[in-house]
Amino acid sequence: MTAAPASSDTKLSVAERMARLLGIVPWVVKQGGAHLDDISARFDYPRDQLLEDLTKRLFFVGVHPFTPDTLINVFIEDEIVDIEYADWFSQPMRLSSEAATRLLAAGRTVLDMSEGRVQQRPGDDTEAAPLVRALAKLSLSLGAEGPDGAGQIDVCLGHAPAATLGDLRQAIAERRRIEIEYYSFGRDAMTSRAVDPARLLSHDGVWYLFGWCHRAGAERVFRVDRIRSLAVTGEPAGVELPAGAEPSLDLGDVDRTATIRLAPGAAWAADYHEARRRTERPDGTIDAVFAVASESWLARVLVQLGPQGELVACDGGIDPDLRSATAARMLERYRR
Amino acid sequence: MDKLERLLNLTAALLDTPRPLSASELRARMAGAYSEDLTAFRRMFERDKADLRAIGMPIEVTTLHRLDPPVDGYRIPASAYAGRDVRFDPDELAALHLATNLVRLEGGAGAGLARLGGAGGEGAIESAEQVVEAVTAVEAVDELPFHEALSKLVEAAIGRRAVQFTYRGAERQAEPWRLSFHRGHWYLVGWDCGQSTERLFRVDRIDGPVAVLGPAVHPVGEGPDPRTIRPWEFGAGEPVEVRVLVDADQASWACHRAGVDGERQPDGSVVLTLQVRDTAALRTFVLDFLDHAEVLEPEWLRNEVIGWLEALV
Repeated sequence: MTAAPASSDTKLSVAERMARLLGIVPWVVKQGGAHLDDISARFDYPRDQLLEDLTKRLFFVGVHPFTPDTLINVFIEDEIVDIEYADWFSQPMRLSSEAATRLLAAGRTVLDMSEGRVQQRPGDDTEAAPLVRALAKLSLSLGAEGPDGAGQIDVCLGHAPAATLGDLRQAIAERRRIEIEYYSFGRDAMTSRAVDPARLLSHDGVWYLFGWCHRAGAERVFRVDRIRSLAVTGEPAGVELPAGAEPSLDLGDVDRTATIRLAPGAAWAADYHEARRRTERPDGTIDAVFAVASESWLARVLVQLGPQGELVACDGGIDPDLRSATAARMLERYRR
Repeated sequence: MDKLERLLNLTAALLDTPRPLSASELRARMAGAYSEDLTAFRRMFERDKADLRAIGMPIEVTTLHRLDPPVDGYRIPASAYAGRDVRFDPDELAALHLATNLVRLEGGAGAGLARLGGAGGEGAIESAEQVVEAVTAVEAVDELPFHEALSKLVEAAIGRRAVQFTYRGAERQAEPWRLSFHRGHWYLVGWDCGQSTERLFRVDRIDGPVAVLGPAVHPVGEGPDPRTIRPWEFGAGEPVEVRVLVDADQASWACHRAGVDGERQPDGSVVLTLQVRDTAALRTFVLDFLDHAEVLEPEWLRNEVIGWLEALV
């Protein structure tokens, strides 16, 4: 990733230009002049728009009585910008609490992502990493008494054993094939697979691994917390995922459905399991229609709801006595 | 006059004046910026004020008794404008710049960095990049939710203030300690003033605005940690010690979910020892493993689960 040069097609609103200019003026004054390209990159300001705003707008800004010494002076020579007489804008405007909170949240997220790897400079464990120092200063700007490291925000991107995540990162970076034992929740089965790992994604606080699964002969998504064991092999990862293909977490087209009649006390289940449709009945119960990706998912929901949910309709070959059959199988375990 | 030019001039005029100015005085000092027509001027002036406030401009309003009749006077105190003088080093700005590139928050990034002095410059960005290079190459984070209440709560936590808000239909007073993102949700960790206890609030269940009250009085504690709290730990009274056996294939996942190491058995299965206040929540956890787990002890809870299953056959 580079400094994200402001592309010429970026359109900034008046408010965005205003907020940037109030940062640019004190910065240029303090530098004693700066190159147009530097300002454009540093403040993410399209170059043409910047040039126009400096020469056609900022140039005419001043205070009563608008004599030359009360007007901002903007010189541009050989693309070097110099600004004078901007005393009222000599300090950068303070951050709003929302802007500071957004920066804090983004920063804490990166810290969690890196799990300590950016806490310190490489080869120097005496000084905190720039990001850690920056977050401490942000909390100061929000009114903290001392540099306490912005502990008021913490972000957890997913629960997975640190060793597993570490091995996955290493395998992806070194482009090596891995072998995993994976518990498939939907099919309630343990499987062994060879996978060419491509990337990790944190979604809703859960880590997912995207990669090419040699067992399936297709791209697959794995929940990192359900990987039981992982071995990084000496084999190179041979298959590459198509570049730019955004991994998808959709279940895909699931055409089997089941209707569960929920007692009033279990109405939450319709939201929790994302019912496709729900119908409230005169007696206060709710008929909720769920997409069923796997029978074992439905079996779990039914035994957990117990008397609070009755399977009243299903299609696609789902066993109408699924709850009873599942409970009987589970009871066998208790009777052994 | 161009809108950007007018907003900059208005800001300069409000910062420059040592005493509050009325709207007409401001118009007179900004020759040509506003319409001569009073109604049109008023409308435009109100809109400009709102636009400036939207980007966080601290416009102060006082009543001007020197005028007859008294009218509102406006200025921006330099101290409120600049806030604390917190300087960021180039590598710190570069690190924040990278963080905002990596992590998207619902509702956009805002112009925070520009106010701090931009992205930090080419060299600083490169050095920050080296540090997080491994992260950017292989990992991504989906957009994080962002709620309006969040910034008020963070500010209150940092500034040690009490807050008041509506939560699930009831008014609550709390002293925020920490905001924690966990499994897709933001949680407020802090002191519940009404219940006199530490607790968690889901930030997305706060309705309407958060009011900031006086200084917080209760000392900051650890508070419940949404990372480690398990559903069966909620509740009152003494916890019951429950032992659960989970098969080998599900063992590591079960330990992970329960947040305990457990005792590994020779066949690879594991016995988890859990402190339980809510036995219904524990039952749901155990049933999730279908026939790969069972409650061992206490006997009465084992019988309860058996009774639950028997009723379903």
